[in-house]
Amino acid sequence: MSAPSFAWKSAAKIAWRDMHASRGKFLFVTMAVAIGVGALTGIRGSSEAFKRTLLTRARTIMAADLAARFFDQPNAVQEQQLAELATEGVAETRVTELVSMASATDHDPLLISLKAVDTAAYPFYGKVDLAPAGTLRDVLRDDTAVVADDLLVRMGVGVGDTLRIGQGSFRIAAVLVNEPDRLSASMALGPRVLITQRALAATGLLQPGSRAGEHILFRLPLTGVIDDFKRKVETILPEAQVTDFRETNPALTQGLERSTSLLSLVSLVALVLGAIGVAMAMRAHIEQRVDTIAIMKSLGARSRQVMRIYILQTLLLGTMGGLLGVVLGAAVERVFPYLLRKLIPMQVTYDFPLHAIVVGLAVGILTTLLFTLPPLLDIRKVRPSLILRRAVTEPEDASARGLLRRIAGARLQIGAVVLILAGLGVIAATLSDSQVVGRWFTLALVAVLVVLLSLARFVLWLLRKMLAKTRSNLPSTIRHGLANLYRPGNQSATVLAALGTGIMLVTTVFLMQKAIVRELGDSSSPNLPNVFLIDISSREVVGVKELMQKQSGVGGQVETVPVVVARLAAINGTPLNQLTLKDYPKRFLQSVSLSYADTHPTGLKTVAGKWWPEGEQKSEISIGSRTAARIHVGIGSMLTFTVGGKQIETRVVATHTTDGQHVFSRSEFIVTPAALSGLTPVWYGAVHIEPRQVGAAQRALYAKYPTVTVINLADAFQTLRGVVDQIAMLIRFLASFSIVAGCIILASSIASTRFRRVREVVVMKTLGATRRRIAAVFSVEFLLMGAVAGTVGVIFANLLARVLLHKLEAGFRIEWLASLAAIAGTAAIATLSGWMASYRMLGQKPLKILREE
Amino acid sequence: MIEVRALTKTIRNGNRSVDILRGINLEIESGQIVAIMGASGSGKSTLLGLLAGLDEPTSGQVLLDGTDISGMEEDELAQLRGKKLGFVFQSYQLVPTLTAFENVLLPHELNSGGDGRARAQQLLERVGLGGREHHYPVQLSGGEQQRVALARAFMMAPPIILADEPTGNLDSVNGQHVLDLLMELNQSSGTTLVLVTHDEAVATYADRRITLRDGLVVADTLAALEAHA
Repeated sequence: MSAPSFAWKSAAKIAWRDMHASRGKFLFVTMAVAIGVGALTGIRGSSEAFKRTLLTRARTIMAADLAARFFDQPNAVQEQQLAELATEGVAETRVTELVSMASATDHDPLLISLKAVDTAAYPFYGKVDLAPAGTLRDVLRDDTAVVADDLLVRMGVGVGDTLRIGQGSFRIAAVLVNEPDRLSASMALGPRVLITQRALAATGLLQPGSRAGEHILFRLPLTGVIDDFKRKVETILPEAQVTDFRETNPALTQGLERSTSLLSLVSLVALVLGAIGVAMAMRAHIEQRVDTIAIMKSLGARSRQVMRIYILQTLLLGTMGGLLGVVLGAAVERVFPYLLRKLIPMQVTYDFPLHAIVVGLAVGILTTLLFTLPPLLDIRKVRPSLILRRAVTEPEDASARGLLRRIAGARLQIGAVVLILAGLGVIAATLSDSQVVGRWFTLALVAVLVVLLSLARFVLWLLRKMLAKTRSNLPSTIRHGLANLYRPGNQSATVLAALGTGIMLVTTVFLMQKAIVRELGDSSSPNLPNVFLIDISSREVVGVKELMQKQSGVGGQVETVPVVVARLAAINGTPLNQLTLKDYPKRFLQSVSLSYADTHPTGLKTVAGKWWPEGEQKSEISIGSRTAARIHVGIGSMLTFTVGGKQIETRVVATHTTDGQHVFSRSEFIVTPAALSGLTPVWYGAVHIEPRQVGAAQRALYAKYPTVTVINLADAFQTLRGVVDQIAMLIRFLASFSIVAGCIILASSIASTRFRRVREVVVMKTLGATRRRIAAVFSVEFLLMGAVAGTVGVIFANLLARVLLHKLEAGFRIEWLASLAAIAGTAAIATLSGWMASYRMLGQKPLKILREE
Repeated sequence: MIEVRALTKTIRNGNRSVDILRGINLEIESGQIVAIMGASGSGKSTLLGLLAGLDEPTSGQVLLDGTDISGMEEDELAQLRGKKLGFVFQSYQLVPTLTAFENVLLPHELNSGGDGRARAQQLLERVGLGGREHHYPVQLSGGEQQRVALARAFMMAPPIILADEPTGNLDSVNGQHVLDLLMELNQSSGTTLVLVTHDEAVATYADRRITLRDGLVVADTLAALEAHA
């Protein structure tokens, strides 16, 4: 047989015959590949759908993808440019907000926050809750209004009564319980009243110069990139404050970002777990073929020819397993929304998932090839004499030269390993949409593999040394089990690496999920303020606090913040009108709210600089970090404010972010009490009240302090909490699924080592070993292997989770219980799958196997 | 004593069934050395396997010291083998994870309590592997591996030794050495020895020759009679 005449065609024929002859074993390998690819495509596909769902949920908090807020009507050119956006599939709707007076027969007029919407489009996401229940489009007509419940309390009117606003009169059609953009709307001065845009025009309130705030809400097409679009809107409306849904609630947004990072991690984990499954199955397969290869070689086949046969076989297996896996994955993707449909409405797109199929197949074939490379390269080393006698290992040359020679001999293998790691890195980088996750993931993967492989060697070496001294004193079952681990030419190191890597990934997913869900929970914890009090005078503040604290349903302390309205006059000595601030509408600096605090307020995080010590007498200021960046000030900058004709010089000592959950959350400028000494502030308050008790508390406060405005966000927060719970549930679900899938893959990896045990079982049985005894020997082996792999995997999982969580600015805690459980679990999985794989073998009649020799 | 009554074995190969043994009747006295001979495919190894309960007969019985092993459960069989039978295989069948010494000790550990180390060491020395106790099977030559297997077979001083082509994988020098050792060990412990071989030279050591063809006994002769014939 000469090389050229031995064409691919005959290689294919032999490959096929070889596969056909042992269909059972090939089915096993194909299934292992399929499970790997199935987990990958299923989890990846679902995580896409999950991500879409999460983002949609988050948008309901703002009712839109993007909102632009400004005080003037857009001019003709801007209108033209905005209209052009519609051609890109962007939808927009206008919301006008203004302060006005409402009156009713026999009642005093009241200051109200009027909000006019177009019911045909508003809200883009979420829904407006009304009491009695109804849809906004049906209830809100040009002659009706829906009003907040505090208007009913203050004016003493009810649903069905008529309100006069400007030149229009409106029948109160329903109580406005909650609207999706409640949390992003400006802090209202009076009870909210919702009317239609057409009705607003009829009231005659929109005179030139009236202080109406204009909101444009935008909805992007599914494919839209929010950052690109945001820039576009900022260019068209330079005076507007443009925010996207991610900025509405920082805590939620952060949770969301972390959740999507976790989903990204989950897909990568699925990829590597899939690859491990594929690799272990293929390894076992090639090992099984060593004898056949030796025979072929003795008949004159060259290494290259043999490799051709097995490369073809590998490709075929990869493709078959890959196809099966893609089908499996598609099924998983379809089943998830069905399982979850009662808890959360999922957005499912039923397009043909070509992308997912291509990726799944490519990964299946590629990882199959990559991971079979080392055993395929080993084919070159298979000597034909094997058919006469099993390989005799030559004593290792321990000298440095011997080591070099061994390394040189293994250079192709080493090259293959580097190629595998690079290949995985490329796949990981391509699949990951989070750079942080992608980079650290690949690093950790390489590190864990290197450590596990060296550690495996070390542990096995140690075991051997130890056993050499103590082995005769140990019970024989344990001794035999341990001996199985380091037999010459055994696969322990590989299995250990696979198992350890798998456990690292699975545990990382668990730890990340746990930390993220915990922080999500903190951001919507039940005692966070949900009712805000506005315009409390300094005389009233103590009384209001006391009164509120006494109300039933109040949880935690009443938080208060003092506010003095000031004008930012100069930055570093340059007057405001001479400053060029591209990124910030100067108009917003004409009246800023200055708060003061002696100690570091709850919910605030200092980003740069240092908060002042208690009792600080200097005039210092901390600025919200976003604002600081936009007005180009940093630590050490001097800001000059004017308050009622008085000039206040302050030095920036810190910048901060807020969690959006506490009373200080809207304070962008916080100074030392000394800076504002002598000025009388107005106070704002915040407190948590059980949603059902809010009405009573509101009435009690109104009776004693009628000028204090209550903003009831209880229902809005209830909605937010619902969203947070749903996010937490989704990521828990997907994380659990990938953990279970991971365990199945690892179990099947261990099961794939069963073929090499058959002969051993038979010999032991022939010598009089009972099944129980053999199972005990295997248990010792698997338990130890699981414990070592589990320990290393869990340590690395903690390290990786720590790095990733740190990058995501989330807290990390060592989960001792979970970590120990993971180690014990690994040992249990290893032992159980070892048992299950050996079970049939234990019942087999020895002669059948002996005859095969 | 070994008794075989109307033993048959049929295996299915695809849709075809193949009769390997077609009704064997035998009695082997204690202490006898019996060579089972026959061409390849005549059923010798299958017969040996059935004698040891390594496989289940299709019909018929095998009795070891009067106990019918045909219907025995796997674990009972394993225990019985551990106490009554020693094995020597053509391809040695040592446990690859255990050293030479541990392989010899293994039957003792599997089947009885107490300390068997002295005996294992003594047996290894008897087969000439005194200095190689701590070598793994892959580090030993074929002849050495088979000598380890011999020591292992005699470890429990079983009343019966079954050997399947014990020299089949060895060159003539090593083969002769192994055979001499087998006979020597057998003689000193007075065991019953059943040897499967197709090698005439090996068969000359036997007291009795049973020849199989197509799953049937076609000849059963005592060496003493043969010598006279």
